[in-house]
Amino acid sequence: MAIRKDANTLNATERAEFIAAIKALKAEGLYDQFVLRHANAVMNAIHRAPAFLPWHRRFIFDLEVELQRVSGNPNLGIPYWNWATGGANASMWNDDLLGGDGDAGGVVRTGPFRAGEWTVINSSGLPAGPLMRSFGQSGMPTLPTQAEVDQVLAVTPYDVSPWNTSSNPSFRNQLEGWMGPNLHNRGHVWVGGSMLPMTSPNDPVFFMNHCMVDKVWHDWQVRFPNQGYLPETGGAFGQNLNDPMDSTPSGRIGPRPIDVLNSAALGIVYDDATGQPQPQIPVIVIGANPTAADIGAPGEADLFQFDVSTFGSYTMFTSGPSDTFMTLLGPNDQTAQVASNDDGGENLNSQITRNLSAGTYFLRIRLFSPNTTGVYAVGVRAENSAPPPTIPELMVDGAGLNASISAANESDLYMFRITNRDTYTIQTSGTTDTFLTLHGPNSQIPEIARNDDGGVSFNALIRRQIDPGEYYARVRHFSQLGTGPYTIRVSRG
Amino acid sequence: MANHKEVLEGCTIEIRDDDHLTINGKEIRYEHNRSDGTWSSKYLPYTKYPSLLAMARAIVRDTVEFSHVKE
Repeated sequence: MAIRKDANTLNATERAEFIAAIKALKAEGLYDQFVLRHANAVMNAIHRAPAFLPWHRRFIFDLEVELQRVSGNPNLGIPYWNWATGGANASMWNDDLLGGDGDAGGVVRTGPFRAGEWTVINSSGLPAGPLMRSFGQSGMPTLPTQAEVDQVLAVTPYDVSPWNTSSNPSFRNQLEGWMGPNLHNRGHVWVGGSMLPMTSPNDPVFFMNHCMVDKVWHDWQVRFPNQGYLPETGGAFGQNLNDPMDSTPSGRIGPRPIDVLNSAALGIVYDDATGQPQPQIPVIVIGANPTAADIGAPGEADLFQFDVSTFGSYTMFTSGPSDTFMTLLGPNDQTAQVASNDDGGENLNSQITRNLSAGTYFLRIRLFSPNTTGVYAVGVRAENSAPPPTIPELMVDGAGLNASISAANESDLYMFRITNRDTYTIQTSGTTDTFLTLHGPNSQIPEIARNDDGGVSFNALIRRQIDPGEYYARVRHFSQLGTGPYTIRVSRG
Repeated sequence: MANHKEVLEGCTIEIRDDDHLTINGKEIRYEHNRSDGTWSSKYLPYTKYPSLLAMARAIVRDTVEFSHVKE
């Protein structure tokens, strides 16, 4: 869990720990790799577009993981730059944290990143001189006030066509700074110097600026739980909810906007969020009367969940006068899209019929047009037409079972029995980039482990001590669109 | 169409036909938003500029590719 605090509230120990971790990454060469990841990304793929917020959330998350590694502190969080109280005289600019403004020529000569102690790199990775700053001298003389942050926090929807610097009304565009009071861009330009170009992560305050941006997005998500990421589809490649984002390597979490929407699920806690209630997801009971709901604000999306106890055919549907759009996610994963539909039901209603294995599924309902509002009802019914399939059984220490993901979004389920408490390894082999989840005991629903690339090459591997019982392994392709053969095996030890 | 050439902080800025920009001979790609009359570049992603020349001067001053500050 990363605990992110206002940079101005860090005590001396916390400041020293953060600086030491940043410098350790710099010494390893890893810090500069982050600079290059940002500098060599396509500008309009990670800025001036919807993916601006999820791309940078993933970016600072990845740095935070490395800071935790080198510090040995799993709770180390990147401090956020609270703009309203973070002006030139704030303690975050003291010599025990960031150091201060540049000299008359812009060169930073105080603090841990002063000339002689810290060298920036250019976009080719070559040393390019000292860190530069010139507070308020590059066209932005002031920082955002709390009233301006509050103003942006009230904007909905998340984003709107044409998905660029002219999008309006757009929370993303106002937070980024192309409309409204200008928050994020203003942080960069107010610092000036090394914070102005695409190599801006050269200045560690970059990460504090983006931690504040991410906090504002998080606060907005808590305030508007039904306002989802947009666009789900129809935007440029790399900007849609399920598109892999530019310049985002494989890592602990996925590369798509949908993979980073839930800060809490990523283990991120902001210091002012203690006790903040998490929104409850309404539950749909299969076979019950449809649940009445409404899209009360343009761009809003509603999320529901339902539990499937046995494999079978199920129909998810809406009814009513609205032109709904439905997305089915799961099992047991709000980020794994199974199917989506626009007008498969009556009139302009959406409907999906699908064979579903046991697990918890999620339905996200929005209106086809992001500019309208309307009422609808949503329900799930079992079709009772498909006989339950036999789940292939894996024998512990037996031969591997050859299989394949033959269609997009497909996943394969296997069962194996454990009779003695011990450590067991479930792994795939082959050339396919597999993703593995482990469920049990004696149920397909509770997920107890997951892995992407823990095995050889892009294969998945889970090694875990487990008690006697029946367990289930589910294999899917890492990419939603991927297919390919693989072999799965369970062994003791 | 107008041409412009100047040396700023040791860097040669050249604009040909009002739209072809080079700095020290390197071609600089940029975006011109005709609806709001602004110019911007990957070199300086957080700012839009009111003219191509203003943007070119900012690139010379503020990017590590072209500014050469000594410690």
